[in-house]
Amino acid sequence: MNLFHPGARVIDAVTGEALTEDMIAAAATQLATEPGGVVFLPMETTLPVVARYLAALRLGRPVLLLDPEHDNASFVERFTTTEVHPDLAVLLTTSGSTGNPKLVRLTADAVRTNAEQIAEVLGITGDEVAVTTLPLFYSFGMSVLNSHLIKGATVVLERTGIMQRDFWTAVNEHGVTSLAFVPSQYEMLRRLRFDPAKYPTVRSLTQAGGRLRTDLVSDFAQRMATVGGRLYVMYGQTEAGPRMATLPPARLEEKLGSVGQALPGGAFTIEDDEVVYRGPNVMMGYAETAADLALGDVQGGVLRTGDLGHVDDEGFLFITGRIKRMAKVFGVRINLDDVEKNFPVAAVAGDDKLAVFAVGVSDDEARGLRTKIAEWLGTHFSGVVVRSVEALPLMPNGKTDYRALESSL
Amino acid sequence: MSNLQRLREAFRTALDLPAEAPVDDLRYQDNEKWDSLAHMSLVAALEDEFSVMIDTDDVINMSSFTEAVNILGKYGVDFNE
Repeated sequence: MNLFHPGARVIDAVTGEALTEDMIAAAATQLATEPGGVVFLPMETTLPVVARYLAALRLGRPVLLLDPEHDNASFVERFTTTEVHPDLAVLLTTSGSTGNPKLVRLTADAVRTNAEQIAEVLGITGDEVAVTTLPLFYSFGMSVLNSHLIKGATVVLERTGIMQRDFWTAVNEHGVTSLAFVPSQYEMLRRLRFDPAKYPTVRSLTQAGGRLRTDLVSDFAQRMATVGGRLYVMYGQTEAGPRMATLPPARLEEKLGSVGQALPGGAFTIEDDEVVYRGPNVMMGYAETAADLALGDVQGGVLRTGDLGHVDDEGFLFITGRIKRMAKVFGVRINLDDVEKNFPVAAVAGDDKLAVFAVGVSDDEARGLRTKIAEWLGTHFSGVVVRSVEALPLMPNGKTDYRALESSL
Repeated sequence: MSNLQRLREAFRTALDLPAEAPVDDLRYQDNEKWDSLAHMSLVAALEDEFSVMIDTDDVINMSSFTEAVNILGKYGVDFNE
């Protein structure tokens, strides 16, 4: 698979250097000298890494995108094999760092199709300029890269973030036209009093990676409208390579709270209250062991999302909750039952935070618990809220009353 | 407590550092705990602690402890008391 359209450009914001065909060819030559099987690739936001990623895809070598700030030895240990299915192209990690995360197996067709679907609904052409706002190992970040490269657009590699001057300088210097963010970044932008008039080339914002509260959806749609720009609310899961839906900006106010309609070629149905997606971008399946990497497609293009929701008569999807007890912290999924297995707490989902209730702990103990849980999750401590309670509320059947805990937040 | 001590305390709390950790030489992202999320809680803590409202430009320019001293100085916080 070649994702690098002849007109595409990847530029390092710090050095100004651009990715060349020669760099990809050199990376391919290097890869060809290495043992076969999975390419383990810590996805730093740099030109050599992007070159190696594109080279692996061209050679048909499955590439596992890894967090460069983690110790990835366990992935190498678990998934080193030369017995890989010929359709396998990209492997992504699922939630967080707890336990032994499963991998999502994607074919080249799924990755390419999703890039095309995204480019179509966002109107990405060769004139667009994106900047990295998310890590490239994260499915949303990867899809920003793919959907621009496949259309001959430009992607600027920027290693700082929205809280730093260098980031915004790069946005204006490179004429960035669109920015992609997860909900916690919209909260930061609100604090920063983000004013698109200061960034005259930026005309679209996209949002995915969890539910953004509707007042912020309206707020950012309006900010963009004042400069003739747009906000695209999207819905995805890593298992769908990753994006599945988008809310057309023209319908946003009228359909507020919806995550939009299925991408071209995809469809949503509701089966036993669960949102089910069918489309060409659905994964082949999971991999828990090296042996699983030899498996073919076990999904048949069908993804049970684990989300609860409903679809209106025009096909707009509204998500109402999760079937399994999950929380998202800074866009990363966390299994609440796993939290409770490891700590003496009751865990519920807050707004992009994990909220836990501990019986009779002091302020100091609560702080210590917060630090421990955040370390265990591998996340920043501000993503965890610890509350002390005299006793946990119970339902008539004796189980913890999570609704009562949620409503006390 | 002097304003300088209050500022050091605010940094330690926002960056989740131990009580006596030196902070005067800290720079954004030299310290692995000083990321965008920590920066947001730091700014919120400084606004609360010194009862100021920090401008967007100042928020994104606050790339070190020294810069924080300079920026808060502009808002009338006196560190030479």
